[in-house]
Amino acid sequence: MCNNHHQKIKSVHKDLQELEKQVDRRDFLKKTSLGIGALALGTLLGADKMFASINKNSSAEDILNTYNKNRLGLPHHLPKAKRIIYLFQSGGPSQMDLFDYKPKLTDMFGKELPESIIGGQRLTGMSGNQSTLPIAPSSFTFKQYGESRAWVSNAMPYLSEVVDDLCFIKGMQTDQINHTPAVTFMQTGNQLPGRPSIGSWLSYGLGSDNENLPTFITLVSKNGKGQPLKAALWGNGFLPTEHQGVQFRSGKDPVLYLSDPENYDGNDRRHMLNYLKDLNSLQTDAYGDPEIQARMSQYEMAFKMQTSVPEVTDLSDEPDKIFEMYGKDSRDPGTYAANCLMARKLLEKGVKFVQLYHQGWDQHSYCPGGVKSQSKKTDQPTAALIKDLKQRGMLDDTLVVWGGEFGRTVYSQGQLTKENYGRDHHPKAFTMWMAGAGVKPGFTYGETDDFSYNVVKDPVHVHDFHATLLHLFGIDHERLTFKHQGRRYRLTDVHGNVVKDLLT
Amino acid sequence: MENSVPDIVLFLGRFHPLVVHLPIGFLVFAFLLEVFSRVKKNSVLTTAIPLALFLGGVSALVACILGYMLSLSGDYDENALDSHFWFGVVTTVLAFVAWLIRIEKIKLSNYKKLQPNIAALTLLVIVISVTGHYGGNLTHGSDYLVKYLPFNKEKKTELAAVTNLKEAEVYGHLVAPILDNKCISCHNQSKKKGGLSMVDSVSIHSGGKNGPILVPGSATKSELVKRVLLDPHSKNFMPPEGKTPLTDEEIAIITYWINNSNAGFKTKVANVKTPENITTIASTMLGLTNSNSSEALPTVTKVSEQLIASIEKEGFRVRELVFDSSLFEVVLGENTLQEGTKDQLHDKLEKLLPIKENIIWLSLESKGITDENVKVISQFTNIQKLKLGKNPISDNAVEYLTNLQKMTSVNLFETNITAKSLRVFSKMKNLKYAYVWKTNIKQKDLEGYSSNNTPKIVLGM
Repeated sequence: MCNNHHQKIKSVHKDLQELEKQVDRRDFLKKTSLGIGALALGTLLGADKMFASINKNSSAEDILNTYNKNRLGLPHHLPKAKRIIYLFQSGGPSQMDLFDYKPKLTDMFGKELPESIIGGQRLTGMSGNQSTLPIAPSSFTFKQYGESRAWVSNAMPYLSEVVDDLCFIKGMQTDQINHTPAVTFMQTGNQLPGRPSIGSWLSYGLGSDNENLPTFITLVSKNGKGQPLKAALWGNGFLPTEHQGVQFRSGKDPVLYLSDPENYDGNDRRHMLNYLKDLNSLQTDAYGDPEIQARMSQYEMAFKMQTSVPEVTDLSDEPDKIFEMYGKDSRDPGTYAANCLMARKLLEKGVKFVQLYHQGWDQHSYCPGGVKSQSKKTDQPTAALIKDLKQRGMLDDTLVVWGGEFGRTVYSQGQLTKENYGRDHHPKAFTMWMAGAGVKPGFTYGETDDFSYNVVKDPVHVHDFHATLLHLFGIDHERLTFKHQGRRYRLTDVHGNVVKDLLT
Repeated sequence: MENSVPDIVLFLGRFHPLVVHLPIGFLVFAFLLEVFSRVKKNSVLTTAIPLALFLGGVSALVACILGYMLSLSGDYDENALDSHFWFGVVTTVLAFVAWLIRIEKIKLSNYKKLQPNIAALTLLVIVISVTGHYGGNLTHGSDYLVKYLPFNKEKKTELAAVTNLKEAEVYGHLVAPILDNKCISCHNQSKKKGGLSMVDSVSIHSGGKNGPILVPGSATKSELVKRVLLDPHSKNFMPPEGKTPLTDEEIAIITYWINNSNAGFKTKVANVKTPENITTIASTMLGLTNSNSSEALPTVTKVSEQLIASIEKEGFRVRELVFDSSLFEVVLGENTLQEGTKDQLHDKLEKLLPIKENIIWLSLESKGITDENVKVISQFTNIQKLKLGKNPISDNAVEYLTNLQKMTSVNLFETNITAKSLRVFSKMKNLKYAYVWKTNIKQKDLEGYSSNNTPKIVLGM
């Protein structure tokens, strides 16, 4: 196989050229007339390389594995969390219609939002040219719940039952005011696509807990409307490709083509893959392109997923009680509820990062109705997930995160009436919550002003949130780095502080 | 001190350490030739001795002159310098004398029995060694040579180690080690670069030839801090090129010392306003971890890779929870021993005994674990989180688990335990959560169960 081995294609990529320059066994022996001298020198240069293909036993591989396992020096400290489920509410849920209760607004209905509150902020093109910015109090009613007396609006009746397990962050702040950059920022730490997502960093840093399933899985609710999501949000960026999130389809068949075609028993597939692996190994030896290795590991993963995925996505052995808990949508594959239930199963099987996306939180108009219908789809399953994880003891080492890419404005976008208003994007203050491993249960951190417009106490920036998240996994965000194009990158770039007050 | 020495003199003076090795080489070589010629009775060897001695003498003279020039910089301790200076001169003179004896310009035929040649050379080697030693002391400090002497170590009067950061002395425990590590090699009693020594409070207060180095209360005005914050390429940057610069943490500590404790030498951390970042740095420096006692990590013996590999071969997944700590999470992996025999399971668990102290998280869910098996597990005394859900275990197992006093959470979901175990849970002092959904414990059993000082019992929701 591969007889044109000596005719190397010269790479355009700089790293690959570097590899090509390295002394290679064949070239070395060919070009050196003194074979013995060359051998002796070769031994000095590194016997592994000289005899790479002759001495192909496992010991060198073992050394490499150990090296790879230790190279990052992780975890830096004792982790609190083993796995995470991130319930991403895409579009920007309205914080003052859900959790950030602002009673003083009721009396200010329709009044102009004071310039002192806006503070010269540049608004979006959608409401920036409005002649008036009338204050729109929430049309929802708020009550306090649980021992922690947390405020929740009547849009989320189920979640109000579990507030004592939640840790609200009311002073979230982001840098981005538009969807795509803001979601990208939230998921990758940078507003431009191309950086690794949180899940990829965790997969890269901590590895897999179950070789039969991907470490990082993405589930998107079906029939999502609103701003589109893109694969870069769960992409690996410059990290090795095997760390990218694997998106399961939202439907009956989460992964296509797992079952064997008709009249094929699949018995020789292992044999075929082994041969393919040999071929690919030859290519790796020649070019050292990490993408070949990624491809090899993905073939292996796909092979294992043929048995592991049907097993984990089969919800038929769940008792009716569980389906009732997650709501009737949970029987309809691809819905948010069904995804929550499947997420729990994936987490049970040792998937480290399950990323859910639910679109449609972008209430520029008809905000009360929009928030209500969004909540109806997500409230019960979210609360059920918390309960279900808790009763199984999984909340002990599972981190649950709920939140969108930004918040919404207190002033109405478009016409304001008693029953109806719209809200524009607002990056300066919004609410997120976490629950489970290592975060304080029944706790509220941070405060906004009376307009839910500016953070007046304990702001938490997206970078701080990322730093804290990594901290819970035993990672010092300043030390998990990857060198790319001549510099070392982090999830938090050059920012971020761990918010210690949120931790148990 | 006046700085009237012309630059050219200082420039040439710095060549002293370079040139100084020539006479050492020449003279020792002459000595060796002399010895060899006697042992081998080979008179041919002796012909080179006069030349070696002559060159040794000349180069020693040059080294002396350059050395004198270097001494004019005033960076060195007078006493130590004196000895080196005079021994250097003696070496030079002796080299010429030995040369003259060898070429018989000085005739000592009356003293033939004393063998003047070998005597002069031996003396020369001794003197040059002493000179070299003094010179070394000047450059590297007098404790440089024997600092790492393996035996008979003279213990420095060390401050007692502290267990609590508050008791630490800001200078003694935090600042002094930094100075010792990064500054003292050039700023000590024998080698006072820039006229500055940092060995004790007196010398630090007296400063260097450009004046004091500390302005108590203001780090930004203190020369000590200014110098380390300069652009590293500046010629005034400290430590000079080639030496390890101070880290940001070290600079933070020194700044904190000058600003918050007014550069006091006996002040304790407790009496000084200490920001949180300093607490963190200082705790790391002193090897203290500021964590609550229940979560403090046990120190355990290191476990070899091979042992871990052999355990993994049994189907366990072993993950190190803190890098290089040998503290592990152990999970009995999927697809291993689904409905295996009891003996197999028992054998497998016994395989864990060599690392029983190293396991702090253990997960054995849905593996057919019995009460007998739990007996083995109860020997893993460092366990903090234990998952035994979906196993046929009973109240007896919980009784065994009382051995695990460090446990903070236990998962017994879908097991056969009953309300009897509730009382047993409260015997585990650190236990915070017990998960008992789908057991024989029902909501009504929890009535009257006080939740103060007892673990939280989690049932179905």
